[in-house]
Amino acid sequence: MATLWPLAVYLGATLAIVAGIVTLSYLLGERHEGKARGEPYESGILQTTSARLRVSAKFYLVAMFFVIFDVETAFVLAWAVSFRATGWAGYAAAMIFIGILLVALVYLWRAGALDWGTSPNRKRSCNETGKQNGST
Amino acid sequence: MTFRDLLPLLPLMLPALTAVAILLLLAFHRSHRLTAWLAAGGLAAALLLIPFACEGAPRRFGALLVVDGCALFYTGIIMAAALAVAAFSYGYLARRRGHVEEFYVLLLLATTGGAVLTASSHFATFFLGLEVLTVALYTLIAYERGAFGIEAGVKYLVLAAVSTAALLFGVALIYAELGTMEFSKIASLLDAGAPVSLLMPAGVALILVGVGFKLALTPFHLWAPDVYQGAPAPTAAFLSTVSKGAVFAAAMRYLVPLDLPSHRSLWLAVAALAVVSMLAGNLLALRQGNIRRVLAYSSIAHMGYLAAMLLTGSPLATAAAMFYLLAYFVTSLGAWGVIAALSEKEGDAERIEDYRGLAGRHPWLAGALTLMLLSLAGMPLTAGFISKFFLLTAGVEGRLWAPMAALLLGSAIGIFYYVRIIAMLFAPQEDAPPVRATHWAAGAAIGALVLLLIALGVYPAPVLAIIQSLIAASS
Repeated sequence: MATLWPLAVYLGATLAIVAGIVTLSYLLGERHEGKARGEPYESGILQTTSARLRVSAKFYLVAMFFVIFDVETAFVLAWAVSFRATGWAGYAAAMIFIGILLVALVYLWRAGALDWGTSPNRKRSCNETGKQNGST
Repeated sequence: MTFRDLLPLLPLMLPALTAVAILLLLAFHRSHRLTAWLAAGGLAAALLLIPFACEGAPRRFGALLVVDGCALFYTGIIMAAALAVAAFSYGYLARRRGHVEEFYVLLLLATTGGAVLTASSHFATFFLGLEVLTVALYTLIAYERGAFGIEAGVKYLVLAAVSTAALLFGVALIYAELGTMEFSKIASLLDAGAPVSLLMPAGVALILVGVGFKLALTPFHLWAPDVYQGAPAPTAAFLSTVSKGAVFAAAMRYLVPLDLPSHRSLWLAVAALAVVSMLAGNLLALRQGNIRRVLAYSSIAHMGYLAAMLLTGSPLATAAAMFYLLAYFVTSLGAWGVIAALSEKEGDAERIEDYRGLAGRHPWLAGALTLMLLSLAGMPLTAGFISKFFLLTAGVEGRLWAPMAALLLGSAIGIFYYVRIIAMLFAPQEDAPPVRATHWAAGAAIGALVLLLIALGVYPAPVLAIIQSLIAASS
């Protein structure tokens, strides 16, 4: 126990200093009454919009890409294991399967699903909203 | 495998191929007109191939698919119905903003699922066809992203997922009991007196839940009115015909070999579903103020009439069911086609009040709708009468006294609400909204359906002969 008293002194000194700073700044400090004084972010700038933004996460695109890449891999690996057993019929079936998914990928690519926020149309609309909000 | 071997499968493959081709086309060039023509071309080609496919039928493809006369008949009417839906869609979608081309891709995919269902002889293909059909339908139902469209889509999604889970569990129980998922093997194992525990009827009952949901049989019908109200009119036409017809065909193929009359509890369950659907569908339709909801309840009742045919499994009942389904397709498509053609740019023409004085504004459409409603009510000289007459004949032959009594009672109730709409069509009207031209494709499709309706009602013999020869060849 005898070795613990420096720690108690340290704790007491810390508390005293913090309490002293807060009390002194309360007694001696300036008082401001600004518009943005009570806001959560004390930068002095009024917030422009609500913090609750709607962010387009495009879950459906993620889902489609999941089917095209991950599920395809699962099936193709299963086919690879039985490659010799299934023969040419299996090869044809697998090619049809991959072909259909390839068409879906081409469709998604052309629909702009691979451009996350950088397609020409989107860029223009982003800049417009950026000007209004003062942020990007 | 040569081309000749593949020929019976081509009508099933063509819509899928067309869907992939359209998807590829859409990646590089968007044109509503071209897309619609391609989709219609694919469906028409599949339809034209069916007589040639019949020559190679019946043909089994492994354990999974069996393409026989009945499957090709159902596939044929499904392709024709999808063609009519595509025709309704063109004018309907042209008035709407946003991407409309994907509607046809989804329509073709759903049609493929339906065609696979009709030819399925194994639970794997049954489930696969059902899912292709259903997943495409989720999007087709919510295609217009209004509040009602989203509500309808979400309702269908949740309820369809639950019913599919029940169906899968039923399949698993049957597999646990008998060790096979082939319809014919299940039936032959049961015939041979394989020892079964309670799992077997429980499995069949759970499959009935899945099928009952798709056919909107009471008490699994709760989604139908809201979905029919919120979905685009062409989707509703598809939902009430192709979706139900395909599932009914698959249910027929699965349940008839099971020989329901020899399984008392299952027989009673199906009979109860049929009778309750007939009465509840007709009674609930009485006080609806929305024509889409009336048609939804009316289709519940019609599926009840049809489900009664599962109870005997005789060739006569099978023939009656096939003819009834054909007549129901023609009638229901016609009624929904008129609604699609009348749907204005802003909202759909759906309140019965909206139809006041239609005969003055659109005499042809009003005439077509009148005929369709009379056929739904089962008036003589229309397909609806003759098909209901065949149902009654088959039902009486199978001694289904209670279901047939319910059929007569339900039809009598039904006349009231059909005639109420017809009276509204011919009621005088003061301030008429502007007349809109119907797109020629929808007009042609409705015209063809009206001609078919009268032809089937007046001279059904050739179609009946075809159906009977198909059944004789299949059995």
